Amino acid sequence: MTPGQTKETGTYRPYGADIKETRPYSPCRAACPAHTDVQAYVGLIAQGRYTEAFEVITSVNPIASVCSMICHHPCEQSCRRCSVDEPLAVRHLKRFALEKSADYRRNKRRLVGKTKNKSIGIIGSGPSGLSAARDLSDLGYGVTIYERHPVLGGMLASAIPPYRLPREVLKEDIDDVISKGVEVRTNCEIGRDVKLEELTKKHDAVLIAIGLSQSRSLNIPGVEGPGVLLAIPFLEDVAFDRRPDLGNKVLVIGGGNVAMDVARSARRLGVRDVSMVCLESAEEMPAWKWEVDEAVEEGVRINHRWGPKEVRRQEGKVQGLEVVKVRSVFDANGRFNPSFDNDQTTLIEADTIIITIGQMSNLSFLKDSPVKIDVRGRLEWNPATQTSSSKNVFVAGEVVTGPGSAIAAVASGHRAALAIHLHLQGEAVEGALPLQEKEKISQMPPEVLEMISREPRLKIKHLAPEVRCDTMTHFEIGYDEEEALREAGRCRGCGGGAVVDTQKCMACLTCQRICPYGAPVVTSVSEIRPEYCQACGLCAPECPGQAISMVSYDVKEISETLPSVVGRVDPKRQEPVIVAFLCTHHVGVFGFDLPKNVRKVPVHCTSRIDILDLLKAFETGADGVAVVRCNDGTCKYRGIEKGVKARVKRGQEMLGMLGMEPGRLELLSAEAGRGGNPWAAVCDDFSGRVKQLGLRAVR
Amino acid sequence: MIVGSQKPIEEIWSMVKDFKKVLVFGCNTCVAICHAGGEKEAATIASLIRMRAGQEGKAMEVNHMGVMRHCEPEYFDPVIEEVKSYDLVLSTACGVGVNFLSDRTGTIPVYPGINTSFYGAVEAPGFFKELCAGCGDCIVHLTGGLCPIARCSKTLMNGPCGGTNHGKCEVSNEVDCVWYLIVERMKKLGTLEKLSEVLPPRNWSTSRDGGPRRVSVEHIREYEEQEAQKPETAGGKK
Ligand SMILES: Cc1cc2nc3c(=O)[nH]c(=O)nc-3n(C[C@H](O)[C@H](O)[C@H](O)COP(=O)(O)OP(=O)(O)OC[C@H]3O[C@@H](n4cnc5c(N)ncnc54)[C@H](O)[C@@H]3O)c2cc1C
Ligand code: SF4
Ligand code: SF4
Ligand code: SF4
Repeated sequence: MTPGQTKETGTYRPYGADIKETRPYSPCRAACPAHTDVQAYVGLIAQGRYTEAFEVITSVNPIASVCSMICHHPCEQSCRRCSVDEPLAVRHLKRFALEKSADYRRNKRRLVGKTKNKSIGIIGSGPSGLSAARDLSDLGYGVTIYERHPVLGGMLASAIPPYRLPREVLKEDIDDVISKGVEVRTNCEIGRDVKLEELTKKHDAVLIAIGLSQSRSLNIPGVEGPGVLLAIPFLEDVAFDRRPDLGNKVLVIGGGNVAMDVARSARRLGVRDVSMVCLESAEEMPAWKWEVDEAVEEGVRINHRWGPKEVRRQEGKVQGLEVVKVRSVFDANGRFNPSFDNDQTTLIEADTIIITIGQMSNLSFLKDSPVKIDVRGRLEWNPATQTSSSKNVFVAGEVVTGPGSAIAAVASGHRAALAIHLHLQGEAVEGALPLQEKEKISQMPPEVLEMISREPRLKIKHLAPEVRCDTMTHFEIGYDEEEALREAGRCRGCGGGAVVDTQKCMACLTCQRICPYGAPVVTSVSEIRPEYCQACGLCAPECPGQAISMVSYDVKEISETLPSVVGRVDPKRQEPVIVAFLCTHHVGVFGFDLPKNVRKVPVHCTSRIDILDLLKAFETGADGVAVVRCNDGTCKYRGIEKGVKARVKRGQEMLGMLGMEPGRLELLSAEAGRGGNPWAAVCDDFSGRVKQLGLRAVR
Repeated sequence: MIVGSQKPIEEIWSMVKDFKKVLVFGCNTCVAICHAGGEKEAATIASLIRMRAGQEGKAMEVNHMGVMRHCEPEYFDPVIEEVKSYDLVLSTACGVGVNFLSDRTGTIPVYPGINTSFYGAVEAPGFFKELCAGCGDCIVHLTGGLCPIARCSKTLMNGPCGGTNHGKCEVSNEVDCVWYLIVERMKKLGTLEKLSEVLPPRNWSTSRDGGPRRVSVEHIREYEEQEAQKPETAGGKK
């Protein structure tokens, strides 16, 4: 070892062991059917670590880019920030992270070796089929996808209109999966082009993932004949750019999300007069509120609480729909069971009527096969094993779960893949598939809510209705970097906070005393209550037993990376080497440069900086160390200020003990939005002061 | 609990400077609670030593480690071989730990990283006060629960002395006169008249004056000795 060089090893009990999976989930993560670790990736975005965020997202979601455009985001609905102001814009942040990682992901695509010598045939290339294909390829199986459409993607490719889901986005996700070496047979309908039997012979296992690709129709007079369309064929026409002739007036029957897509697509095909009719009131409608709002913005009119009675025709041509008033939609038990007031009817005029009242599977190819269909025409299956009634034939996605979301179909695909893998390896499947329900942390207690500043969600921009209705182009405008960082900073890091190693805690009460949020309760050992903890990180560096780890980050990371951040210190340097710890919460720390002699260490909050990190910066050769925070008013974690000040003061005292000038360590404050580059300015001033103190000798 | 405080870095440096491989060994009980010698402080001291070595241009490997207690072998036995791989152990336990470890590290010296100060309480976070002297013959039932041996600067058994000054001790304005506190306390308890009895001279042989002290808890010793006589213990003791 050269003089002054030192080595540091760990402790008897490792500090900061990996604990995440043993902890309750954040509500956002628990709500996601695929359990995407929202808290983790939003936190990474907030630190400018976009490709790491990409890895977190795609580790469980093979159609992440698609979801970043169309997911109904149950994570947001359950976000704990709802009780402060508004939920995090999780979906938009996901989109940002994926767009930022575009090159990274393309460079990552690799063929996976087929190590298992077994193959699986997957029927259907929707989210469930694609997910299973990815998992099974990663496990080393040969995978072939059979898809009746000319393109892969299921409903994503053939039904969801391009103004919501641009096809180049879908292609990125599909390319990730296919590049693993998945064989693809498009334009191949099982039952028509290839028999199921051939598949079961050829492959060791078959997965039926055919979704719900047929629209249901209505049994009312006049429904047969031209001018009445079904939703899925209509949306397929839109998706494959076959522009159907709709006349001047379109009426959509239905009040769900698919009906919204139909109506809004009709607007984009040049029809000015688009209306909808549904049984439900505005409150009862199953469509998401934002879908309804956007449709209304685009001029779609909605007739609530009318039921279809008859398609009126004159000389075969559709005149309109006769409708009857709805008395109630649900019965006393809350079941769907509409009742009508037959005395009240009216005619809604239309040239074309599009029926959008639900979908079903086309199971005709299973006739005479060993895969059983029940009396109600549904595929028989066992949810505990993802199996059909036939050996080696598995099931996934909406064909068995019924209508839901793309991400729920992903989750189903993962389960099926795991089931197939276990089965082919001769292991028991029953009981081995993970539970969908996860333990999650509860809502924020009122005393914590009070301490969180209101920061409204950053609204995403849309193309103006008059512009967007003329085209099928995507209508949402994503966040730029500054916006994404600002929005990501709103996340409270739920469930990502402090955890005590009870074998090291000596119940000293320090954490309980220092925590601004009242999270730790010390009895015989400390217990940090996750619903209180905000993951500020103030307590971990303070614990005298090094007993506190953080779920969402490695408490040793800063000090471990400092040597490479500082690099070699030139003995003949003219300017002092400054290490600046910068609070990244208030944006912009990434987008600009600091003076060349300043080594930037972004931290999510200065509360996370350990006295050991400060010392380490000097150990690695810094002439001066600056801790640059925002100010007490804007700090994300109210109440941490005193703790940070005390830590810096202690560091100064230690420098004094070593015969160094305490002024080599300073706590500074800077904030965006005052023009210029405030960080560079404060760092530059500090650097000047350190230069006056002189450069440290390098030995 | 036992309260200690860190030694000045210069003093530590003078102890460690001639060694190549130093372990700063923290103790995670009493001295951790008073922020003097737990694992965290051990890490901090290690860092300071490394910086000091850097200033002198000395090649030195300085690591840190911590265990629950240095005063019971079960806690450090699992790491003792690693501990013995160093040239010097700077223990940040109290003096008890330093002594105890010194007997058990073979040829490796164990030096003190902190000054062991007293038996005290946490009067406020970060503020510790001496309240007991460990004299071996407690009499505070006679003095309102407050100890004149530890807390009277002169260890008077029948105080206060003439130096008492509006509740403070003549030694320093920052020191409470414990005899003043005893009187106030006993007034409150309604037992003040007991103070009219003069306390006899004490027998200090239970204190340090009787030489190093030991306590043996017979029923536990008996069990342990029986265990030791068994040829092999089923339950895996040692
Ligand atoms: C109009 C519309 C809008 C939607 N919007 C959203 C949204 O915004 N957000 C959201 O989360 N979800 C949305 N969904 C739901 C989402 O698309 C589905 O949850 C998802 O696609 C279901 O996936 P899956 O894998 O079960 O089946 P599918 O996606 O339906 O895929 C099944 C595939 O199997 C193929 N197939 C069927 N039979 C055969 C056969 N015999 N041989 C070969 N191939 C066959 C089909 O062609 C299809 O490609 C929407 C659905 C629709 C219809
Ligand atoms: S604040 Fe962040 S971690 Fe908490 S629920 Fe919302 S998105 Fe998840
Ligand atoms: S600060 Fe550390 S040792 Fe003290 S009570 Fe909290 S977890 Fe336990
Ligand atoms: S100090 Fe911060 S990280 Fe620690 S328990 Fe409190 S809120 Fe959580």
